[in-house]
Amino acid sequence: MKEQYIKQAEKELRIPRKAKKVVIRDLNEIFDSALENGETEQQVIDRLGTPKEFAESAAEQLGIDLAASRKSKRIVSSVIALAVAVIAFVLYGTARVRNVPADVIGQADSMTSIKVSDGFNLSAVLLAIGIIAVVAAVMLIVRSISKKRR
Amino acid sequence: MDSRYVQQFKKGSLEMILLCLIAKKETYGYEIITELNNNGAAVLGYAKEGTVYPILYRLQEAGLIQCRIAPSAANGGSKKYYSLTPKGDETLKELISFWEKYTDCVNGFIGDYEQAEVSK
Repeated sequence: MKEQYIKQAEKELRIPRKAKKVVIRDLNEIFDSALENGETEQQVIDRLGTPKEFAESAAEQLGIDLAASRKSKRIVSSVIALAVAVIAFVLYGTARVRNVPADVIGQADSMTSIKVSDGFNLSAVLLAIGIIAVVAAVMLIVRSISKKRR
Repeated sequence: MDSRYVQQFKKGSLEMILLCLIAKKETYGYEIITELNNNGAAVLGYAKEGTVYPILYRLQEAGLIQCRIAPSAANGGSKKYYSLTPKGDETLKELISFWEKYTDCVNGFIGDYEQAEVSK
C-alpha cells in the first residue's frame, strides 16, 4: 500500500528530478515514522490525501523554482532554434552564390544542368529548415512572453 | 468555527509556529506534527503532513531552515532533522516582534469595541 502510494505520487509529481528525489525520500520517512509510532499505513494515507493531492501541494510550494527552470528551458530552445535558422540561411545563401556561376555554364551543358537542379533542391531544403526554425523560435518567444503576462 | 477568515489566520501563523518549533530544538517531520497536534489541535485543527511538508519546503527554499539527514535507528530508513539558519533566526525574531505589535493593535480595536458594547 505504501509502495503503491509512493509510486503513484512519483508519477504525479511534475517537478525537476532532483526535487522529486527529495519529496519521495520525505514520503518514505513520513510512512516509516508513522509506522514506528504505531500508526497503520491506511491511517497515514487517510491523512495524506490522494497521491495526486499530495504531489500537487508539494509541487505548488516548489513552484517558484519550477517556473524559473521552465522559463530557462524555453529561452535555451529559442536560442537553439534561432541558431539553426541562422546556420540554415547562411548555408542557403552560400549554396545560391555557388549556383550562380554553375547556372551560367549549365545553360549549354546538360551534365551541369542536372547538378544545378541538385543544388537547387539542397538550397530549398535549407530554406525550409531555416523558415521552420524561425517559426519555432518566434512561437517559443511569443509563448514565453504571453506566459509572463498571465 | 472554520470560516474562511479563521482559515486565513491559521495559514498566516503556521510558518511562524513551525519556525518556533524548529528553533526550540533540532526536530524532524513526525515530531513536528505530533507536537502541533498535542499542543495546538484544539485551536489550529489537526496538522497533516500534506500541510506541513510543503511549508518546510518553502522555508528551506527561502533559506530560513536547513536540514541534515541521519539514519533512523529503528528501520533502514532515514530522518531529516531541521534546524534554523542564522537568517531564519533573525526572521523569527522579526516575526515575533511584529506579532506582538500586531496583537496589541488588534486587541486595541477589540477593547474599544467591547467598551462601546458595554456602554450601549
